[in-house]
Amino acid sequence: MVLITFITGIFKEALAKKIILAIFAFFSLLIILLVLAITNSTVEGIQSMLESTGGSGMKEAVVTFEAGIISKIPMFMLIASFMIIVSSFVPDMLKKGYIDLMLSKPISRTKIVLGQFIAGIILVFTALLFLLGIIWIVISAKSGIWHVPFLYSIFWFTLIFAILYSAVILIGIMTRSTILTILINLLMFFPVSFLLYLANVYFENDKQGVVFGPVTETIIKFFYNILPKAWAIQDICENIVKGGAAVSYQPLITSLLFMGVMLSLAILYFNKKDY
Amino acid sequence: MSVIEIKELTKHFSAKSFSKEKIKALEKVSFTTDTSEIFGLLGPNGAGKTTLVKILLGITFSTSGDAKIFGRPVSDVNTKKKIGYLPENHRFPQYLTGEQVINYFGKLSGVNSKVLKTRTVEYLGMVGMEKWKNTKIKKYSKGMMQRLGLAQSMINNPDLIFLDEPTDGVDPIGRKEIRDILIHLKSKGKTIFLNSHLLSEIELICDRVAILNKGILIKEGSVEDITTKANTYKFNTNELNDKIMNLLLNQHKAVLNGRNEFLCNVKDVEELNGVIDYLRTEKILILSVQQEKNSLESMFINLIEQQKN
Repeated sequence: MVLITFITGIFKEALAKKIILAIFAFFSLLIILLVLAITNSTVEGIQSMLESTGGSGMKEAVVTFEAGIISKIPMFMLIASFMIIVSSFVPDMLKKGYIDLMLSKPISRTKIVLGQFIAGIILVFTALLFLLGIIWIVISAKSGIWHVPFLYSIFWFTLIFAILYSAVILIGIMTRSTILTILINLLMFFPVSFLLYLANVYFENDKQGVVFGPVTETIIKFFYNILPKAWAIQDICENIVKGGAAVSYQPLITSLLFMGVMLSLAILYFNKKDY
Repeated sequence: MSVIEIKELTKHFSAKSFSKEKIKALEKVSFTTDTSEIFGLLGPNGAGKTTLVKILLGITFSTSGDAKIFGRPVSDVNTKKKIGYLPENHRFPQYLTGEQVINYFGKLSGVNSKVLKTRTVEYLGMVGMEKWKNTKIKKYSKGMMQRLGLAQSMINNPDLIFLDEPTDGVDPIGRKEIRDILIHLKSKGKTIFLNSHLLSEIELICDRVAILNKGILIKEGSVEDITTKANTYKFNTNELNDKIMNLLLNQHKAVLNGRNEFLCNVKDVEELNGVIDYLRTEKILILSVQQEKNSLESMFINLIEQQKN
C-alpha cells in the first residue's frame, strides 16, 4: 500500500505540474489534425489511385502509413519528449526537506527507486496508449482496415522508454540535477547511440566506402553492445508492425541487460547515499 | 527497554570528494532515552544534532557505533511505522492542501484509510489548522507550515516523535500551544526527541537533555540536575545592617545584592540552617530562601566555553 501511495503521489505531482495535461492536450491536437487530414474523400482518392495504377492494396497502404507514424523521427521526438518530462522527478524527490521526510517513512530505499521507475513507465504507457490507440482507431475507422499489429508499437515504445528511463533515474540520483539528467540522456540517446547504430549497420553490411581499422571497429562495437539500442529496437518494432518478424532480438536482450544494470546501480547507489 | 539506545555513535564526512580529509560530525556519542519522556538535544550550529537524528532515522549512515530504536537496529524499515518526524525546513508538495498533505504522509506511514480520515480531522484541529485544511499549502505562512508539519509527524500515532525546531517561525501563543501538545503526548506514553535552539522552550518542557558540541557529548542529564547550582541559596530579607553584612561576607563568602538580598554558598543543610538561625537571632525577617538555579542558557554557554578552553 505504501508503494502504491508513493507511485500515485508521483502521478499527482505530474498532474499538478500540468505535465499530464500538456501531454494529453498536445496529443489531442495531433489526433485532431490527423482526423482532419484523413477525410472520406482522401481515403476514396487513395483507393482509386491504387486501383488505377495496379499497385498494392489498401491494406498495404495503411500498414505503410502506420509504419511511418512509428518511424525513427517520430519515435525520437516522442521518447526524447518523455525523457525531458520525467527528468525532474528524481531530482525533485531528492530536495532537502522532502527526501528527509520520505526516508523517515516505512518504505525501503529500493522500493523508492522502483516506485519512481514504475510510475514513469505507467505514465508513458498511458500517454502512448492514448495517442497511438486513438490514432489506430481513427485510421482503422476511416480506412476500414483494422491492422492490430500497429498497437504492439505501444508496448515497444514503452519498452524503449523504460530502458532509457533506467539511466535517467541513475543519473538523477547521482547528480540531483534535472538539467544534467536531460543533457546526459539526450546525448547518450542521440547522437551517440544513433552514430553507433549507423556504424553497426555499416559493419553488418558490405564494407564499402569508409574503412575503419580493427581497433576502431572493436571500440565502436564494444560501445554499441553496452549502450541501449533504441534505434535497433525501433527497427524490430517497425518490422512487426509491417507484419514481419524481428531478424534478431539481440538488441532487445542487451538493452534489457543495460536496463537491469542501470536500475541495480541506481538502487545500490541510493541505498548507500547519505542525505 | 530504552526507546533509543546509542552507543559510541560516530560519523565522519569527507571534506571533499576524493579527499582523505574528514569532518568529524559525531564522535563516540552514547546515551539512551526512555518512554514517556521529552528529551532535548542541544548544541551550537554544526554540533551534530541533525546528523544524529538523521542517523537514527536511516537518512544518513553512521561511520561506526551502534544505534537502536525500540530494541531494533535503525536500519529496520518496519520500526519507522512507530516513528514520526518533523525535519527542520521540511518541504511538502506545494500543490497539495493541508488535508492532502496529512493524507499522503499518513498513507506513506502505513495508516489505514478509515483511521486516517478521523485522525486527519483530529490532528489538524489539535494544531489549529482545521480552518485551513482545504487551502493549498503554497499559501501557508511559516508558522502554519510548522503546525501542519507537527500534525504530519503525529498522524501515524507514533510512539517516538523526532522534532527538529518545531516552534521555528511560530508566534508565542502558537509555541505555548505546541508545548501543551507535546506535554499531552508525553502523558499518553509517547517519547519526544526534541532539537531546538530555543533553550527557554527546552527548559520548560524537557525532562532530560544532552548537549553536543563539535560532535562530542559534553553533558547529559535531567534539566533539574544540570541547572541546579548545588548548595547555593538566595535569601530575601528585610534590611540588613552593616554588622550582619560583614559577617555574611567574611564567614560565608556571601554575594550581596543590596541590603535585602544575598547569595550564600553552604557546605551542607546544617550550615544553611546555621545561617537561618543567625539571621533569626539578629531579628532579621527572612522573606524567602531559594536554592539557586542557572538558566539552561547560561549553563549551556558555560559548558561550551569550558570545552572551547
